[in-house]
Amino acid sequence: MHIQELILRLQRFWADRGCLIGQPYDIEKGAGTMNPLTFFGALGAKPWNVAYVEPSRRPADGRYGENPFRVYKHLQFQVILKPSPAKVQDLYIESLEALGIDFSKHDLRFEEDNWESPSLGAWGVGWQVVLDGMEISQFTYFQQVGGQDCRPVSAELTYGIERICMFLGGYDNIFDLIHGEVKTDDGVFPVTYGEMRQREEFELSAYSFEHADLDLHRTLFASFEKEGWRLLTDHGHFLSAYEQALKMSHTFNVLDARGAVSTTERPAVIKRVRDLASGCAKAYLEHQETSAATIAAAGKGGAL
Amino acid sequence: MSAAKPFLLELHCEEIPARFLKPLTADLSTAITAWAAGQSLELTGLEVFYSPRKLAWRAASLPLAQADQTETQVGPPQRMCVDADGQPTIQGLKFAEKWGLPFAAVRFEQPAGKKEPCAVVTVTKVGRPTVDLLQEALPGLIAGLHVPKAMRWGNSEFEFVRPIRSILCLLGNQVVPITVDGVTAANTTWGHRLFHRAQPEPVVVSEPAAYEAALEAAGVVVSVDVRRARIAEQLDTLAAGVGGRVVADAELLDTLAEIVEFPKIVCGEFPAAFLELPKEVLVTSLREHQKSFCIEKLDGTDLLPCFLTAANRTDDPAGFVKAGNEWVLKARLYDARFFFAEDRKLALSVRMEKLQALTFQKDLGSYHDKTGRVVAITKALAKRLSLDEAHIERALEAARMAKCDLRTLMVGEFPELQGIMGGEYLRHEGSHEEVWMAVKEHYRPAGADDALPATALGCLLSLCDKLDTVGGCFAVGIIPSGSKDPLALRRAGQGLVRILWERGWALTPRDLCGVVLGIVGPKATKPAAETTEALLAFFKDRVAYQLELAGYAGSVRRSALAAGWEDLADLKARCEAMSGFADDPRFASLAQSAKRIGNILKDEIPSGNFDGALLVQGEEKELAGQLQRLEATTDQAALLGVLADLAQPLEAFFGAVMVKCEDPALRAARLSLLHRLRQAFLRVADFSLWQ
Repeated sequence: MHIQELILRLQRFWADRGCLIGQPYDIEKGAGTMNPLTFFGALGAKPWNVAYVEPSRRPADGRYGENPFRVYKHLQFQVILKPSPAKVQDLYIESLEALGIDFSKHDLRFEEDNWESPSLGAWGVGWQVVLDGMEISQFTYFQQVGGQDCRPVSAELTYGIERICMFLGGYDNIFDLIHGEVKTDDGVFPVTYGEMRQREEFELSAYSFEHADLDLHRTLFASFEKEGWRLLTDHGHFLSAYEQALKMSHTFNVLDARGAVSTTERPAVIKRVRDLASGCAKAYLEHQETSAATIAAAGKGGAL
Repeated sequence: MSAAKPFLLELHCEEIPARFLKPLTADLSTAITAWAAGQSLELTGLEVFYSPRKLAWRAASLPLAQADQTETQVGPPQRMCVDADGQPTIQGLKFAEKWGLPFAAVRFEQPAGKKEPCAVVTVTKVGRPTVDLLQEALPGLIAGLHVPKAMRWGNSEFEFVRPIRSILCLLGNQVVPITVDGVTAANTTWGHRLFHRAQPEPVVVSEPAAYEAALEAAGVVVSVDVRRARIAEQLDTLAAGVGGRVVADAELLDTLAEIVEFPKIVCGEFPAAFLELPKEVLVTSLREHQKSFCIEKLDGTDLLPCFLTAANRTDDPAGFVKAGNEWVLKARLYDARFFFAEDRKLALSVRMEKLQALTFQKDLGSYHDKTGRVVAITKALAKRLSLDEAHIERALEAARMAKCDLRTLMVGEFPELQGIMGGEYLRHEGSHEEVWMAVKEHYRPAGADDALPATALGCLLSLCDKLDTVGGCFAVGIIPSGSKDPLALRRAGQGLVRILWERGWALTPRDLCGVVLGIVGPKATKPAAETTEALLAFFKDRVAYQLELAGYAGSVRRSALAAGWEDLADLKARCEAMSGFADDPRFASLAQSAKRIGNILKDEIPSGNFDGALLVQGEEKELAGQLQRLEATTDQAALLGVLADLAQPLEAFFGAVMVKCEDPALRAARLSLLHRLRQAFLRVADFSLWQ
């Protein structure tokens, strides 16, 4: 199955089951959870179902486009269901069936894998979903986000898009995946993942491991932090402040990939990101309370 | 006694983490048993079942109701309950009313302890139906289970290990309709997840005895023991089928039995090119990443390019499970090979500088600091063991290289390969065999079941590393107490003692304390004298445990330890010699006499010298003769024989001789004789502790 077909099917499936189809958030991030649609959406009491694709950057996983299984940037398909439905596991299995997986022939297991994001002050319990021995999804019941208890609890489903595509097609190299087909008057041209991304993998890996200016990144980290707190404390603006927390997080990941953060200073640096993110979560909930009347009058769900 | 029926409770949940299955079922078993006893219900034959989605308990029998109980209630005296005309008084009527009975049911008797006849009624307390009692109690018992990592879900505030999706609860064939977090029990449950893709209806369990069969028909083997046995059988058969045998791993077998509801083992293959990786890397990678067993050749040398893993279904009709696992494994091994190749691009020693950034312990500094200390300790001990120059140089080289692999990619990925990878990389670099073997095995023994390093240098390095860890931690105040031993110092200390014990090296714990505290000194935060005392007490406990591990009888251990524990070779020789006499009745007698000697000498300060000519009675002369023989014997085994022979003369002595007699000179001579005897005993053991 082509990557774009897989995405389209998942979007169709979840839209049909009452999810909004969201969009990636245009700031570098390590995981789809960091998109405000999830970070803020999982907070507060209002019902909230959303699904979207999120490109996720992990500088330390960069392999210059030479490793057939590991990449600097991959695609996550993220679903948030709040409150978590009673039949959430069945829904998830149906979504796999929508991708053409026939469970009369495959093995499926939910193995304990508790998720934690120290930089978001978030954690949950759940599983990695294992299909014929391969981890294809992360399944989490959020217990806390931004240091705030989740009430009600959201279920978060994260699909690893490239992995599932490789697995379904029996590919041994991620760069051989077909993203989709370009059809022109001159014919049909399949476009591979490698054509779209391999050079990018090379350059971004080189950037993370060799070229990134570490002093600049240290300065950026501190500047984003200062900017974030200014926005939050002086103006009570949790959305723009949260963007600064996201930028801090990515800057940290670049420094970390270079081994520029020692094991002893690591927890303290992560805490600086978490403190800002948690501040944003708290401000968001306070804002929700003050405007609760307005939202209640509208009688609709909605996170933001 | 009312009728009894089997009882069954099953909580059907979303997948429960394997590590919680056993403790949770055990905890609720305890709670149910205690509850039944408290309700005077005789619950028998309680067994537990669990699978990834199920926690279940079944009792062979539970009474359908509590037994009725009768009680006698005593009221006011007869004269106050009945008037002169024989009519009931108001007080009499009220007493009957209080127990819900007509006055006619009141009789008059004189109960024990009363001076006159009183009103008496017999009250029957009707036993309640067990179904009602269960309905009231079970939800609380379930909610009260301790769950280490509890969660909430949906809109509820209820906390449990994972969401409860249905409950099956039966007493005989009757449903016990308990409700937990909005889920009400029925006589149905759910089978295997994939079974229900085609079968939307739940599985009916008509009675507790039908439980396993009903579930097996729906694709679930609910007994973990049955699953484990079936898996073990398939592992052996499949391994034999490819001409090999399974690389045994009891823990992995338990894990597989806990993560599937139906046990099906799949045998897959991986490209033979990966066999160039060290065996330990393959075994670890397969176990950690894919929960898979390796297969080795029948002679136990090399691995075969095959693996065995569990699938959570009954079959693999299209071969997808096999193909999928092979595909994933290839990706994993690709990674392992990448690490192995990358790590070897640089000499292992290049990592030395990087150890500075790796903290060993806050006060003790980095692994670089630790390496420096281990090298110094190795130097000091190698000298004491009189190693020759070439061996000293190899020991120091091994000590320098020991921790470098902590900075390799492979150990970063698989921490349990520490030491092993360092050894492998050194071997590839062409290091001396003694050096790479020592590095490879220096974390051994990893526990009581693990072997010591095979080589002398390996043992020396392991000992020096552990000595630095234990001595260093004690010097900065990290001392294990009770259940608190976060750095596993007891295990390290035990390994160290075992090396001394089995190698028979002439190093005492006191020597080792001197060496390590001299080297760790600059980092110490506690006074050296205090640390030495704490360390010696710690090592004494380890030595005591070593005697237990070595299998000596309690009598031998207690008495041998009390006569000196620091010279391990001597202690071992004494224990060995005494073990031959552990059941000898003469030693029980000797123990009695030794105690008497101790008591007699308690407040005395006898001189060691006495004039044998002063002794008058035959029994004491005999004993003095035996003493000479004892003192002249140096061989441990022969000494024990002489001691055994002493039992009878000692008994005779105490039977006939009055030690504390009037004559001061004779009395002093007798006390001295006993004192000398005790000194001679203590060369072997303190026999007063024999029993």
